[in-house]
Amino acid sequence: MSAIRMRAAWTALLFLLPWLAGFFALVVFPFGASLYWSFQQYDMLTPPRYVGTANYARLAEELVTGERFGQAAWNTAYYALLSVPLSIVLGVSLAVMLSWNVRGRAVYRTIFFLPSVVPAVASSILWLWLLDPQAGLVNYVLSLVGLPGPGWFNSTAEAAWLPAWFAGNGGFGSKDGLVLMSLWGVGNFMIIYLAALGDIPPQLYEAAELDGAGPVRRFRHITLPMLSPVIFFNLVMGLIQAVQAFTQIYIVSEGQGAPAGSTLVLSLYIFLSAFKYLDMGYASAIAWLVFVVIVAVTVALFRTSHRWVFYQGAGR
Amino acid sequence: MNRKRRTTWWAQAILAVAAALFATPLVWMLLTSFKPAEQIAADPHRVLPVEWRAANYVEAVTTMPYFRYLRNSLLLCAGSVVGTLWSCSLAAYAFTRLRWPMRNQVFGVMVATMLLPWHVTMIPRFLLLRELGLYNTLGALIVPTFFGEAFSIFLLRQFFLTIPEEISEAARLDGCSEWRIFWRIMLPLARPALATVALFQFIASWNDFNGPLLYLNDPSRFPLAYGLEQFVSSYSSQTNLLMASAVLFTLPMVLLFFFAQRTFIRGIATTGMKG
Repeated sequence: MSAIRMRAAWTALLFLLPWLAGFFALVVFPFGASLYWSFQQYDMLTPPRYVGTANYARLAEELVTGERFGQAAWNTAYYALLSVPLSIVLGVSLAVMLSWNVRGRAVYRTIFFLPSVVPAVASSILWLWLLDPQAGLVNYVLSLVGLPGPGWFNSTAEAAWLPAWFAGNGGFGSKDGLVLMSLWGVGNFMIIYLAALGDIPPQLYEAAELDGAGPVRRFRHITLPMLSPVIFFNLVMGLIQAVQAFTQIYIVSEGQGAPAGSTLVLSLYIFLSAFKYLDMGYASAIAWLVFVVIVAVTVALFRTSHRWVFYQGAGR
Repeated sequence: MNRKRRTTWWAQAILAVAAALFATPLVWMLLTSFKPAEQIAADPHRVLPVEWRAANYVEAVTTMPYFRYLRNSLLLCAGSVVGTLWSCSLAAYAFTRLRWPMRNQVFGVMVATMLLPWHVTMIPRFLLLRELGLYNTLGALIVPTFFGEAFSIFLLRQFFLTIPEEISEAARLDGCSEWRIFWRIMLPLARPALATVALFQFIASWNDFNGPLLYLNDPSRFPLAYGLEQFVSSYSSQTNLLMASAVLFTLPMVLLFFFAQRTFIRGIATTGMKG
């Protein structure tokens, strides 16, 4: 390397130094250390002790029996697989309707976006109150239309069993309350869709209209394909974020996954294992397993993305 | 045009209903925060307060050490914003304006760290910061921001790329040092992007709950987000006070949104559109 380029590289190193130091101390080291500790028993008080794959064996066992870890894995999957697709559908629908020339567009946009600037701590306090089975507003409104009031954050019921709800068993439970909360905060995603919709060339719609395509076909054959890269991005980011959701879950579940472990998600379980039960090795094993699953899912999504994501200018 | 109107009347109706549903929780929070406790106990569903009780707010900020929490929150936000701007703009400059081996590969690695879930690094990070004597200080939350963070670096880099290379090139030919180009030319030009990063970091620190939960145990050091949660567990029956404190905690974010709407939207759109 010439002297000049050498000098330039040194300058670059100086500019990068803060980030680089942080990268090694706060990312690379912790990343490796937690893998190392996942093979140890470590309670922070006595020195770590090598236990081989015992922590992972325990995870496998709990997964099969559906105990703590199994329950947490189920709760996390339930929350992620319900909240992410529903947010995409809701976010895209709102954005598409806003992109038509409706009256009061700016006002609607503000109203839909506002909930997503409400801090998670505040929105959790608010939704605990709204979804209170007796005194809450939501169940009151349901009772006005003659529908039974679900138990929400006091219930272990699981949603999607709508028939149970109509049968009067209060089919919405704690996790469904969390999903509802996440839908209320959909504004962030909506803004991204709106920006993407603005980038679709109007000629495409004009041409389709001349060819006699109705609104449904224009949506199906122009809007959706043109939005698909952004939808894909939000699907991946949404899943990763849903698996890491913590604050709102901690608050509505009194920090323990209440009631009866129905909101014990993986991030909460890792936190409790590490800092309540001082089982750092076991907690590290869960964290690593979650990480591996996230990577696997992300890679799988990217591998299949060419089948349904339309990349403009990518050629055929 | 005529046909377009016909397709939008039902959209208009759906949007109106949806807007009402989205707005109701916030309206309910405001209304509840003004209700007397007796009203909530006796008739929780009555929409308007029987008497508008602004004293709820006074009670909320006096039953918890509100101003202490607020002071801690502001310290945390200010420190983190300074840290992030400093470390991330330096790195973003190196990623856009300086030439060095493997630059793009290193950038790729940095972007990949954005996808790293926080729990994977949580425990060793905690032990490390505790070793450094930062446990139970706001420093545990502020110091890491001085070491850069992928999301903000990415955002700044995207903006730096839009500034014409010729400007820094000309300064370089005039014998300007890299530091002066960065400090005197790039940063002033990048003001809008710096504002976006500062805004996002301010919000992140204001809202941060995990950090204080992990690192702080002395109530006199709690920021609002965590102090408020403590308040929930001890005063869960006083809904009106809870709502008043939640309103106070939310208000700065809403105001920021209204005053910095364009900065907000630009930030979200830049980061969301890279997909």
